[in-house]
Amino acid sequence: MQASQVEIRKVNKFYGPFQALKNVDLTIPPGKVTCLIGPSGSGKSTLLRCINFLEEYDAGEVRIDGQLIGYDAPGRKMSGRKLREMRRSIGMVFQQFNLWPHMTALENVAEGLIRVRGLSKRDAQARAEDALRKVGLGDKMANHPSRLSGGQQQRVAIARAIAMEPRLMLFDEPTSALDPELVGEVLTVMKTLAAEGMTMVVVTHEMGFAAHVADQVAFMDAGELIAAGDPASILHQPQDARIQSFLRTYHERNSF
Amino acid sequence: MDFGILQQYGPMLLRGFGNTVLCWALGTIFAMALGLLIALVQRYAARWVRWIIQAYIEIIRGTPFLVQLFVLYYGGPLIGLRLDAVPAGLLGLTIYGSPYFAEIFRSGFRAVPVGQIEAARAIGMAELTIVRRILLPLGLVSALPALVNFSIILTKETVILSIITVPELMYQVQRMSTETFRYLEANLVLALFFWALVETISRLGRRLERRITRHLLTERT
Amino acid sequence: MFSIPVFLQAFEPLIWAARYTLLISGLGIALGLVIGTLICAARLSPYAALRGFAAVWVSFLRGVPLLVQLLVFYYTLPVIGIDVPAIVAAVVTVGICASAYISEIWRGAIAALPKGQAEAAAAIGMAPHHIWGRVILPQAVTMSLPALINELILLVKASSLVSVVGILEITRASQAQAATTFRPLEVYIAAACIYLAINLCLSALGRYLEHRTAI
Repeated sequence: MQASQVEIRKVNKFYGPFQALKNVDLTIPPGKVTCLIGPSGSGKSTLLRCINFLEEYDAGEVRIDGQLIGYDAPGRKMSGRKLREMRRSIGMVFQQFNLWPHMTALENVAEGLIRVRGLSKRDAQARAEDALRKVGLGDKMANHPSRLSGGQQQRVAIARAIAMEPRLMLFDEPTSALDPELVGEVLTVMKTLAAEGMTMVVVTHEMGFAAHVADQVAFMDAGELIAAGDPASILHQPQDARIQSFLRTYHERNSF
Repeated sequence: MDFGILQQYGPMLLRGFGNTVLCWALGTIFAMALGLLIALVQRYAARWVRWIIQAYIEIIRGTPFLVQLFVLYYGGPLIGLRLDAVPAGLLGLTIYGSPYFAEIFRSGFRAVPVGQIEAARAIGMAELTIVRRILLPLGLVSALPALVNFSIILTKETVILSIITVPELMYQVQRMSTETFRYLEANLVLALFFWALVETISRLGRRLERRITRHLLTERT
Repeated sequence: MFSIPVFLQAFEPLIWAARYTLLISGLGIALGLVIGTLICAARLSPYAALRGFAAVWVSFLRGVPLLVQLLVFYYTLPVIGIDVPAIVAAVVTVGICASAYISEIWRGAIAALPKGQAEAAAAIGMAPHHIWGRVILPQAVTMSLPALINELILLVKASSLVSVVGILEITRASQAQAATTFRPLEVYIAAACIYLAINLCLSALGRYLEHRTAI
């Protein structure tokens, strides 16, 4: 599989007078897992959503494999068609799963293959079945989302994304909406993807995942990228006081 | 538009408008009061009482307002209910509006989190006090937008009263147009008048809602 | 007092008149659906002129009482030289009035859909017409069914107003009956019963549809 790389350079985003992202510089290396951590409101989700232009950044550049996303040139927005073309190779998994409730799990996964990739219904369903089996839901294909647990729904969402054969996967707090006992099954699927060499950017509060699976951990606070590096240096020997304070609160709340 | 006509019929139209406002205001208040009573009784009464109330609600909501008025005004005398047009209209509005208001209040009560009622019971508060101090205030706030909305709908229903000869605005406009033969203009102006009236009240209503709920809502979503 | 024989005898002519009631409300809602969909599309369009027109359309038709609309339309037609039977005028007025409410029903349903639904579709690169046709509209239409059945019930009741322009639907027929029998109480209560029967059937249909389309 060919894995994408992402270059984020001096990205700024404003919501009116409020600056959500301040001059963020980050490289997402190909085939590696990058985790974005930080307190709420730090801009991590916003930055993630800028990568596939679900949020529009106002200044700076986001390049995927060298190609600028969202803009043809600074100030000139990309056409809808070109944007959709770029999004075909990017997969996204949302905190709220966002499965389409009026379709079965199989139909959810096949829909993109039919409408976007133009596959025939039969081919799409065959590929969808493979994707669902890969995330361990081969026996739940005919279920509607309302008959699936949160963990199962999120795994269907992951299947939906990987069925499109993306070169880059974005995860926006994929386990935050799940009951604790269901988190494991989703993390397992994500670890499998990582082992296969997918470029992954994951916004998460699961520090264990960041520590053991991530190749790069980036800490954000109040719209700024404070530090980025390998998990050991960020999580176990943080230099910046903000990271120390964040981790201290985390340990207080989570150890017993 | 000949403005001489306005001058000539002005007082008559004004009287009509006054009657519209009177019927609407009284009708809405009575209907709301009756609706609230129904909603409270529904919440606490025995099953057979609830059944009767539900039947009442279904019947009133399932039949046209005009037919209800005919039953009251033209049919009433046959069972000894001899009402003039205006009282009949008021009674009609009250009866017509009550089930809608009852449903609105019911939804409002349902929207009060059960936990808050339970907390009151847990400290031994009497049921009547719970209704007075918790259910009603919180339920009313929840219900406010729908209450305002339906009150505005009732302003439009008042024109139907003209058919049973209640001398409200539409009735006077029809009288004026039969005398001047300017049917189209008269009704067009009536339409524009109602449009302006409803649009204005709607906006005021929304502003009022925002003002009241801002102070009364303690939960920030 | 209340005379049962008169009450029962009143039903036959009124049920015969009910065909006009059903015709007017049925055609009215059909027309309202077609126009309402167009108006809703205009409300959501990127062109400010279309949005403005649709907003005025909805505001006017919801602000003016239907009775007044009926009379305006009824008196306008001779002036502009159109000669249509009263029933056509009635259906068109009712349909146009309904379109304003239906447009808002559609709008409400579309707005109530969580944003994430469309986002997930956009994230895999789905084109707008697919996002609308496969994700948004199917869910919006299903969500709107209870409100649409409700609107139909309102139209059945509103059809009683077309009696003022002389159409022999249930209400007008009952007025004629009351005049000949001198027993308005029984006749009007019979009329009410017929309306109630129609609307109870519609409510039951609504509940059935809600049950069937529950996701």
